[in-house]
Amino acid sequence: MPLGGIIFITLFIGVFGVILIYLARWTGGRAKRTSAAKMEIYECGIPEQEKKDTKISVKFYLTAILFILFDIEIIFMYPWAVGFREFIHSGAGPFVFGSMIIFLAIFIFGLWWEIKSKALEWD
Amino acid sequence: MTDAILFWFLALVTVCAGLSVILMSNPIYSALSLAMTMVGVSALFVTLGAYFIAGVQLIVYAGAVMVLFVMVLMLFDLKHEIQAFTRGKITGAIKIASVGILAGLVVGAITLGTKAIEAAKATEAVAGKTYDNNTMSLAQNLFLQNVFGFEALGVLLLVIAVGTVALSRSRGGTHARD
Amino acid sequence: MMNMGTTPFEITINVIKTILVFLMMVQLVPILVWVERRGSAFIQNRFGPNRIGPLGLLQLLADAVKFLTKEDFVPDKGNKYLFYAAPIFALIPASIAYMAIPMSTPLIVGDSKFLIQGFEVNVGIVFILGVSSLAAYTILMAGWGSGSKFALMGAMRAAAQIVSYELALGLSIVGVIMTYGTFNLSDMIAAQQGALTFTGFGSTFTAHFLPNWGIFYQPLGALIFFASAFAESNRLPFDLAEGEAELVAGFHTEYGGFKMLMFFIGEYGHMMIASGLFATFFLGGYNIPYTTVQGVHDWLMTTFGLSVDGANIANTVVHFLMYNVKFLILLWIFIHVRWTLPRFRYDQLMDLGWKTMLPWALANTILTSIVIFAASQFAF
Repeated sequence: MPLGGIIFITLFIGVFGVILIYLARWTGGRAKRTSAAKMEIYECGIPEQEKKDTKISVKFYLTAILFILFDIEIIFMYPWAVGFREFIHSGAGPFVFGSMIIFLAIFIFGLWWEIKSKALEWD
Repeated sequence: MTDAILFWFLALVTVCAGLSVILMSNPIYSALSLAMTMVGVSALFVTLGAYFIAGVQLIVYAGAVMVLFVMVLMLFDLKHEIQAFTRGKITGAIKIASVGILAGLVVGAITLGTKAIEAAKATEAVAGKTYDNNTMSLAQNLFLQNVFGFEALGVLLLVIAVGTVALSRSRGGTHARD
Repeated sequence: MMNMGTTPFEITINVIKTILVFLMMVQLVPILVWVERRGSAFIQNRFGPNRIGPLGLLQLLADAVKFLTKEDFVPDKGNKYLFYAAPIFALIPASIAYMAIPMSTPLIVGDSKFLIQGFEVNVGIVFILGVSSLAAYTILMAGWGSGSKFALMGAMRAAAQIVSYELALGLSIVGVIMTYGTFNLSDMIAAQQGALTFTGFGSTFTAHFLPNWGIFYQPLGALIFFASAFAESNRLPFDLAEGEAELVAGFHTEYGGFKMLMFFIGEYGHMMIASGLFATFFLGGYNIPYTTVQGVHDWLMTTFGLSVDGANIANTVVHFLMYNVKFLILLWIFIHVRWTLPRFRYDQLMDLGWKTMLPWALANTILTSIVIFAASQFAF
């Protein structure tokens, strides 16, 4: 893998972005006349309405962690998928196919359970 | 030569990102630094010729696990945490203790690492291996030799999913008040 | 530089090439913005920007000047560092992932061989998926760094949406990998040359009226991939992250001027990755339908009497144009869908991702594996 090239272009884009930001700062000018109202965050025309602790639904956490679990299961399918034909040619086809079917059955059971237990329900 | 420069550059970036995980006072910065560490580790895997593992490191750790961490940290109001991490005698003591544990880990890692290198040098067969199709050898290892571990992992992931759903349902902790 | 060439000349060319691909992507964005605005006007029976320059093309320049003269602004409650870092990071994952997509046949002149792509990655799909999954950080950084509840809510929604659809996207690709048996994008394109040929059940079937494209092997996978690509790039009908009615503008509520434009580049970059990958997986990449790369090369040599090097260059140019035709048509479909379909509700979006697309992607994987397995085991 051309790691050197990837690192080079990453740094290049980073520098490019920084230059763009500074250019826009230079041509647009920084906020000279400021006031409390100007520096406020956006609110629909009224003074800022913010509770002390904004609560965000635990659903986001649940979604993210279920994503990780299913993502790992999908990642395990990648080497299996890329080697599937070679496994068939080498005669290990039925064994590998069966092992993945069992794995997929567990996967499907997990997904079915998540849907049935209403863990994926958004209201 | 260029490979060596590349390795030392990546190692420096990874170690610096790792250090800033524990040195930053803002938990968000720490989490982002940890994500950077994961990206660095992935690049180090590439220098070892383990391309698929590097991609998995990027997808699973940098793209999934650390996104979860950052998301969860952003769910909370962090002002108290920043204060808690920047002053106080107890946290100071914890910091010193952590440094001690870290030093122990570093010493242990170096000792074990040198032993592992010696062992690897003893079995010279590893060095002669070509890395052209290591995804296939990974697949063989996973689906032929260690297939029971693979299936057990599926069950483990299922158990984690069930546990997560159960935990998010429980009405203890901060939810008990309302 | 690791694997960037053997001679200083090749390394220089390759380095300049990556920069060129990046600049090409950045240059395409204003044109796409213009196409999008004129196209939406066309769809909605309006005029669109038509005052500045011919067909309003100089509107791009006027917009750039306007963006540059905007006052630089960070809200008091925001986190300055993350607020500035987010738009810069928005550029990186999209551009780097796009560079791994091959855009034409390798250019061979004499002893030198140049790939018409940023760089060749032998585990192309895994690399692209991994790098583009880093885009979630940009959104989270922007949302949290703004210090505004609208931005934070938008970022949370966007991140949850992106990760949900990444599952369907990743799973729909498993079928593709199984069909071609490789992670390498160039190998996949090479497998899609000529007319539709299917080997299995002890014999070979050929359909001369169809090109050998992945979409005929993986129709369901193509559909799921395309739909999740919309969600991944935060485009309508999946742009819940910036639902104006509820969230003002989502994670970039507090952004304006050039920083906003950089988020745009990131968003369009993801559209380009999705289009390029779709063309590569399902529409034969840079292949001209019904032909092979070698066939076109020979045809160019015999018809125009070119030398081998000349035919190589012409071949690369022709295939590059073919890739861009597919690429631009797909980008237009992205734009067309945006201006014809309404937005989903958030619970509908999550239901679609988890309860519809994920099971169908699973079904596609199982079906593909059964067919490949049966095709190798049984013969008629």
